[in-house]
Amino acid sequence: MKQWLRQHRYALNVTLRRLVLQPFSWLANTLVIALALSLPLIGASILTSVQPLVREVSITPEMTLFMKPNANPNMAADIAQRIQKANHANVSSVKVISKDLALSELSQNPAWAQALNVLEGNPLPDVVVVGLVSNDQIVAQAESFSQTWQNWPGVDFVQLDSAWVQRLEALMSFGRIGLGLITLVVGLVVLAAIFNTVRMQALSQREEIAVARLVGATEGFVRRPFLYQGGLTCGIAACLSMGLCLWALNPLNQALLGLAKSYGTEFSLNLPSAGVLLLCLFAAITLGAISARWSVTRNTRF
Amino acid sequence: MIDFQNVSKSFSTDHAILANASFTVTTGEFVFIAGPSGAGKSTLLKLIAGLEAPDAGQITVNGQLLKHLSARARPYLRRSVGVILQNTHLLYDRNAIENVLLPLAVVGQAPETARTRARAALDKVGLSHKENANPIELSGGEQQRLAIARAIVNRPAILIADEPTANLDRDTARKVMNVFKDFNQVGVTTLVATHDEELMAEYAQRVFVIEPGRFRDFPVQRSA
Repeated sequence: MKQWLRQHRYALNVTLRRLVLQPFSWLANTLVIALALSLPLIGASILTSVQPLVREVSITPEMTLFMKPNANPNMAADIAQRIQKANHANVSSVKVISKDLALSELSQNPAWAQALNVLEGNPLPDVVVVGLVSNDQIVAQAESFSQTWQNWPGVDFVQLDSAWVQRLEALMSFGRIGLGLITLVVGLVVLAAIFNTVRMQALSQREEIAVARLVGATEGFVRRPFLYQGGLTCGIAACLSMGLCLWALNPLNQALLGLAKSYGTEFSLNLPSAGVLLLCLFAAITLGAISARWSVTRNTRF
Repeated sequence: MIDFQNVSKSFSTDHAILANASFTVTTGEFVFIAGPSGAGKSTLLKLIAGLEAPDAGQITVNGQLLKHLSARARPYLRRSVGVILQNTHLLYDRNAIENVLLPLAVVGQAPETARTRARAALDKVGLSHKENANPIELSGGEQQRLAIARAIVNRPAILIADEPTANLDRDTARKVMNVFKDFNQVGVTTLVATHDEELMAEYAQRVFVIEPGRFRDFPVQRSA
């Protein structure tokens, strides 16, 4: 065990010595990898910050039927019953909000109270709120319902309330797939960068490798410093990319703060959780070591 | 210790290095391998070190049949065979003691013990005062002795050297040969490839002569 640890310590020393001997080339390489890793990290920060916001909003699709102002007060209840009977499989709930109830609820809001007092009558219509069962054809169904119900007597117009939330959800899904693809491309870039760096290093260490083999070094002994080099470079690059993202999110959050306040809410972009960041770090180190192993195995066959 | 049974090796159909060569070198022998340039002296040494594989026949080194040794096991055999090549293959980005420390790092020797053993090896070849010197600062003879120190630091049972005195003057060559003789006298089986007849006459106990496709074994009788 001690012998194994000593060999690893030796490999780490060799790696650090090689890096110290070529500090600028190594730093430039690490910075390039860090910048590449920053792209998916910023994407992940945006997605993970927006996700809870989307989840807060109900995405249960709802349709609202606004009755004509002069419609008979019983018409809303009749329409509610008709919808319930005709479409019970696709409808999860039907609720009637009478114009009187709506007015009384609105009057309780001080911002509206004064304006409503000025009005002589009740300007609000009766409303039927229909909750739809969510499924793959929901958009087409809602469109079909809208066209049918629009023509019923007493109905002024029909509105699909949660369309924007669904669009946002679709946008998030698109973002997730996009982020996955960016991560894949960045992974390949990192793989290529480490492969090439290790290839150059292995060629420049040709003599040392030949001597080590001559004195009885195993292939594991020969490969180990290169594996450390790949893992260390990617690990440091991953830490650097986290620092870069943290730094870049600061001005973005300053700008978002004003926008969010104008909507009476608070919102900020944050890095993913510590657990996710640790996982990213581990993935980067593994990717670097795998790429280095591949490169050193291919380029030291002499 | 080293046993060749009907070993053949060639690099092309018209250039046979060894043809059905058989010999045995026992523990503690000092053998010279002679022959003209290109005859295959280096190849014979590489066959012993497991750096080349024979086309036919069996080679046994330290009781291990080389053809049955897996790629994983070969490095462990090489640790018991100290190899000194004509080109010393010293590492010029390290000083003398760091060159000698490399084989000890390979076997995972503890740093303090490794340094003590490396210093002892440098002392044996008369380079203890040059441990911090870069190999490039050393003379040809000193570089050759440094390569010997690196080859013997892991206390190999067999020492093989390919033309170790090729580029050295007579006095320096003799100093290098004396180092080999010292190791041989403590039981290290030593094989030296050379075409220097004067040195052979002075040091040889046994000589293998390799000529294209022909192998001859000459024991040397010495008076006490």
